[in-house]
Amino acid sequence: MSDEARTTAGLVPGADPIKRLATGNRELDEILDGGIPENSINIVMGEPGSGKTTLAEEFMFANANDEKRPILYLTTLSEPLDKVIKYLQQFSFFDVDKMGRTVLYEGLGTELAADGIGVLLPRIKHAIKTQSPKIIVIDSFKAIHDLAKSTQDMRLMLYEVAGLLAAYNTTVLLVGEYRHEDIATYPEFAVADGIIELARNALGTRDERYLRVFKLRGSAYRQGFHAFDITPRGLQVYPRLVSPVEAASYKRDANRIGTGLPGLDAMLAGGFWTGSATLLAGPTGSGKTTMGIQFVLEGLRAGERCMLVNFQENPTQLAHQMEEIGGKLDADARSRLDLLYYSAVELSIDRIVVSIFKALSRKGINRVVIDALGDLAIAANDTTRMHNYLYAMVQHFAVMGVSSVLTLETDPPIMSSDSSHGRLSHMTDNIVFLDMKEQQDHIGRTIRIAKARGIAHDLQARELLIDGRGLHVVEKKRG
Amino acid sequence: MTLKSEGKGQRKAIILIVDSNPHVRELLSHFLQEAGCAVEFEADGVRALERAREVIPDIIITEILVPVLDGLALCRKLRADPKTRGVAILVFSVLAVGGRAREAGADAFLQKPLSDQLLVDTVRQLLEAPKENSA
Repeated sequence: MSDEARTTAGLVPGADPIKRLATGNRELDEILDGGIPENSINIVMGEPGSGKTTLAEEFMFANANDEKRPILYLTTLSEPLDKVIKYLQQFSFFDVDKMGRTVLYEGLGTELAADGIGVLLPRIKHAIKTQSPKIIVIDSFKAIHDLAKSTQDMRLMLYEVAGLLAAYNTTVLLVGEYRHEDIATYPEFAVADGIIELARNALGTRDERYLRVFKLRGSAYRQGFHAFDITPRGLQVYPRLVSPVEAASYKRDANRIGTGLPGLDAMLAGGFWTGSATLLAGPTGSGKTTMGIQFVLEGLRAGERCMLVNFQENPTQLAHQMEEIGGKLDADARSRLDLLYYSAVELSIDRIVVSIFKALSRKGINRVVIDALGDLAIAANDTTRMHNYLYAMVQHFAVMGVSSVLTLETDPPIMSSDSSHGRLSHMTDNIVFLDMKEQQDHIGRTIRIAKARGIAHDLQARELLIDGRGLHVVEKKRG
Repeated sequence: MTLKSEGKGQRKAIILIVDSNPHVRELLSHFLQEAGCAVEFEADGVRALERAREVIPDIIITEILVPVLDGLALCRKLRADPKTRGVAILVFSVLAVGGRAREAGADAFLQKPLSDQLLVDTVRQLLEAPKENSA
């Protein structure tokens, strides 16, 4: 046999890396370290309506490309086959041309009801011998438990089925309405190579869907809860933001960028370092949003691409405010500006942050303002989760070289505790405080730099004036 | 499609499968018989060596992890014996040791799990390859 023939016959010395099947969902593949490992047995668990069948079907249709290796979906005793197919057709990944050719739907309910769990092994064996399935989905596998006469019967059947499935090159999804306590008692969890949980939690007035990988042998999967939605395209997954693999370097770009306030630039001896993160803190009405707008306008003047993320005012209102402060933007500046609005009440932090990063990467943004962190905290509904997200976000900004300003209200209690401030101050390179103090006949405003990493900054609080053109630092504090 | 033994008329190719896993044996047997081969089984290396000397199969498909005499030792003994030197050997193992299998004398290596098309293609290539004469 020639060397070439040996190669085609699979003569590869040494261990091959684990081959994976893409799920049809880029974000889910990202969480799964590239996809579901070939020749693995995986459990997809979750309550009814949690999206298990949708995940399985998206996976099936994404891999249905070879008539010699079709995808086999076996229903048991949960939903009638007709009903499953009826709802399947509403998804954009559904392809009627694949039905009956590369995707085979078959019902096992009648055989199981008549003859019990013993029919499963010969049925799968028959499928392997006659159909060579690339993927086998059994939905619901948990329903088979109800037919077992004893735990022993179930365990013996599962031992045989798992042995058979391991012997043949097929990838298996066992879909079921399992609960957490089932993991310790149901034997299929012991033989599973992967366990993916889909859950739905009530959060205030909305429901949030989460996906979690419990186990995926041989894979550096992304741990934790990942938000998702069920859309007409299938699952829209928002992988939890984690810190970048490449650590942010403290050796900043040698360039400084203007803050939009010449007086503040002077206090910073030339502005912020490019790629630095700045926390802009102050009470409501102290001018944080206005300063954020000035920071963006300065970037536009410098020819940069800028993004302003806001949770309270829609893009039209924001554009109007920007015009008031900086005058009408020309077409070129408008083309370099992205105004993003999210409802922090309606959306989770996962969805917001993933969406921000998608836009950042796609458009090559140089500077970004997030106004305000308090709104993001509402979306996070959990201070620890919020801080984890912020830390990862700031690290990503640094690696991407994006200069950021994050505004923070110091009066609402959610983010104003000492510990929160302490943790936030470690995350950012610079901290600028805006303050308001009642004076004899007016409210006096001040600006103070609490921290500016790598900059010999002015430590003195400076008076701040605000007019129709924005904030202005008064050069010398009045006596 | 029927896989025939080269140069031995129209008789079916004889494949000796050495594997102790009943599922693997059943599936290998099914796909090889579908392809027109005659199949025999042994569960350990010593019995496989004895059987090989008796029937001189066209191909031996062996797992490495088999009792009494492992699959690699079986390869070496088959190659050392003038009677079985010409038998084609396919090591089909859960272990990813293609290089060691070739060093032990295997003609081909496939890693488990079973891919039916790859199996049949490999068996066909082994049957079609020119052979050393057995004594």
